[in-house]
Amino acid sequence: MDKNFLVIENISKSFGENKVLENINLNISKSEFFGLLGSSGSGKTTLLRILGGFEKPDTGRVILDGVDITNLEPFNRPLNYMFQSYALFPHLNVFNNLAFGIKENFTSKEIEIKVKDIAELLSIKDLLNRKTKQLSGGEQQRVALGRCLIKKPKLLLLDEPLAALDKKLRSKTQLELTALQKKLQITFVFVTHDQEEAMSLSDRMAIMKNGLILECSTPEEIYENPKSLYTANFIGIANIIEIYQKDKNYYSDDLDINFYLSRDLKNTKTNILLRPEKIKIQSINNSKIYPFNSFSGEVLEKSYLGSFTRYEIKINNKIISVLDQNFNSNSNYNFPIGEKVMCSWEKESIKILED
Amino acid sequence: MKNKFFEKYFVFTPYFWLVLFFFIPLAIIFKISISVSEWGMPPYQDIFLFDNGFKINTTFENYIYIFSDFYYIGSFINSLILALTSTFFCLLIGFPLAFYIATSNIRLRNILLVLVVIPFWSSFLLRVYAWKIILQNNGILNVILINLGITSEPLQLLYNQYAVIMGIVYTYLPLMILPLYGYLNKFNLNLIEASKDLGLNRFRTFFKVIFPLSIPGIIAGSLLVFIPVVGEFIIPEMLGGSDRLYYGKILWEEFFVNRNWPGASALAFTGIIILVLPIIIFQIIYSRWSEKNEI
Repeated sequence: MDKNFLVIENISKSFGENKVLENINLNISKSEFFGLLGSSGSGKTTLLRILGGFEKPDTGRVILDGVDITNLEPFNRPLNYMFQSYALFPHLNVFNNLAFGIKENFTSKEIEIKVKDIAELLSIKDLLNRKTKQLSGGEQQRVALGRCLIKKPKLLLLDEPLAALDKKLRSKTQLELTALQKKLQITFVFVTHDQEEAMSLSDRMAIMKNGLILECSTPEEIYENPKSLYTANFIGIANIIEIYQKDKNYYSDDLDINFYLSRDLKNTKTNILLRPEKIKIQSINNSKIYPFNSFSGEVLEKSYLGSFTRYEIKINNKIISVLDQNFNSNSNYNFPIGEKVMCSWEKESIKILED
Repeated sequence: MKNKFFEKYFVFTPYFWLVLFFFIPLAIIFKISISVSEWGMPPYQDIFLFDNGFKINTTFENYIYIFSDFYYIGSFINSLILALTSTFFCLLIGFPLAFYIATSNIRLRNILLVLVVIPFWSSFLLRVYAWKIILQNNGILNVILINLGITSEPLQLLYNQYAVIMGIVYTYLPLMILPLYGYLNKFNLNLIEASKDLGLNRFRTFFKVIFPLSIPGIIAGSLLVFIPVVGEFIIPEMLGGSDRLYYGKILWEEFFVNRNWPGASALAFTGIIILVLPIIIFQIIYSRWSEKNEI
C-alpha cells in the first residue's frame, strides 16, 4: 500500500488578515477513507478546496500519486469534488448530469454504457430521465456521487457528504458509502463537523482547530487515547478531572478522592480523562468503598437511551457523566434521581492528558 | 365591507393601469389611423358621421400608403437592424459586467451597482449631448487622436450610424445589466466549480453551464433594450446623420412636420403589431419550453 499517495506539505493559507491554515502536513495512503473533522472555522473546508484546486495555498505543495498538482487548474486534476449542496446542474436531467464530465472523451454509445453502469452501482437506474429538482435528498446525493465516480478519479473529495440528509437516511448512507469505497478502492477524503460521522466512516481522521491539525490517527486511538484536552472534549462525552501529586498519591480537589494511576506523572499537576462508559455504577448498600478510584455521589439526572442509561452524578460541586449498559431488563438496575450511588473504575481506564 | 371590496378588486389594479395607459391610447391611435385626413384641427375627420343620417367614415388608405412607399418600411428595417446591433453590443458588454458584479463580494457589489445606476441621476439629454461634445471634430477624442499622431485630420466621428449605436449602447447598458444581474445573483457558484472539477475549462463551462442557466436573464435584458430602441428618436436625431433614416424620426416628422396624423398613427400601429406579435408568440413558446425544462 502506498503510504504517500496523497502528500500535503506545509500548506498555509490566509484570507486577508485571517490565517485559515497554518503549516498543514498530512500523508494519506492509497484507498484510504480519510476524515477531516473540525468545527466551523477550523479550516477543514479550505483544506479540501485547496485539494480540489478551487483555492491556491500561500505556501506548500500538494502531491498526488507522485505528481505535484499544487498549481493545476481543477479541470486538469485527476480527482473529483462532491459539493455539500451537491451542485447538480438544474438544466440537465440525471443522465446528462452523470454524463457531464465524460461527454468530450467518449462516443455516445460508450457514454450510455458508462452511465448505465454507474446508475446500476448506485441503484439510480430508474431516475435517469428525471429532472434534478424531482429528486429527494438521498437521490441527489447519489447522482452527485455518480457524477464524480464515473470519471474514475484517483481521489474523491467529499464536503460534508451526509449533512443534507435526515438522520435515518444518514446512517444507512454511511454504511453504503463505506462499502462503496472499499469496493472501488478509491481514496476518499471527506470533511465533516459531525464526530459520529467521522468516526464511523474514517479509516483515519484528523482533528482540526483554528487552522491546525491537532491529532491524526484512527478513530479508536483518538477516542481512547486523545493527546489533548480539546480532542478529548470534542470526541464523545468526556469527564475531565484535574489531579495533582499529594505526598505519594494523586488527588483531586473537585472530587475529594485519591487516584491510583497505571503510571507516574511527568508533571505534578495534570488533567485526566475518564470516559463515561468506563465507570461502573453500583448501589451504595452492597458495595464496599475503595480507597482509590471510586466515589459516592448522588444521581442528579438520568436519561434512558435504550441500550444505555446516562446518569449525571453529583459529587461535591462537580458533575460526572456515567453511561451504564442495560444488561438486564429488570428495572431494579436503574437508579432513581436522588439516590446515593457508588462509582468506580479501573486504573487502566484513566487517560492522562499531558500536553 | 369597504375593506372586502378593496381586497377583492385589488388584483385588478395592474389591469386598470394597463387599460388606462396602454389599451385606451392604443385604441385612440388605431381610431386615428383609420380616419380620413383633412386640413384642420384635428387634422382628420371623425369616423362616425351623423349629418345626413349615420355613416361610418373609415379608410385603410393610410395603411396602403405606408406599405406602398419603401421609405417607411425601409426606415423600420433600419430601426430593427439598429436595435439588434445595439442589443448585441449591450449583451456583449453587459454580460461580463453583470457576472462580475454578481460574483464579487457584497461591498464591492453595492459600489458597482450604484455606479451602474448613477447615470440615471443626470438628464438623458445632457448625457447624449455630452457624447456630441466628445465626438465632434474639435472634440476631446479627436484632439487626443491628433496629439497621439494616429491621425492628422480630425475624424468624422459624429453624425453617422456608428455614433448612434455607441450612444444607444451607452444609454441602454444599465437596462441590460440590471435584469442580468438579478438572474446571475441567484446563480449557485458551486455549479461553475463543479463543471471545472468535472473537467471542463472556463470556455466550455461558460457555454455548458453559465450560458444555458442565464437564458431567462438574457431574454429579459434583451427585450428591455430591444423594444425601446426600435422607437428611439432622440439619440439618432442628436448623434446620427443623414446616412440612415430611422422609424422614430419618420414618425415624428409625419406627426409634427407633415401633420399627417392618420398616416403617422397607421405607422405607429403597424410598428407595434410587427414588434409585439412576434414577442408574444416567442414568450408563449419560451414559457412552455422552460416549463418543460424547468429552468
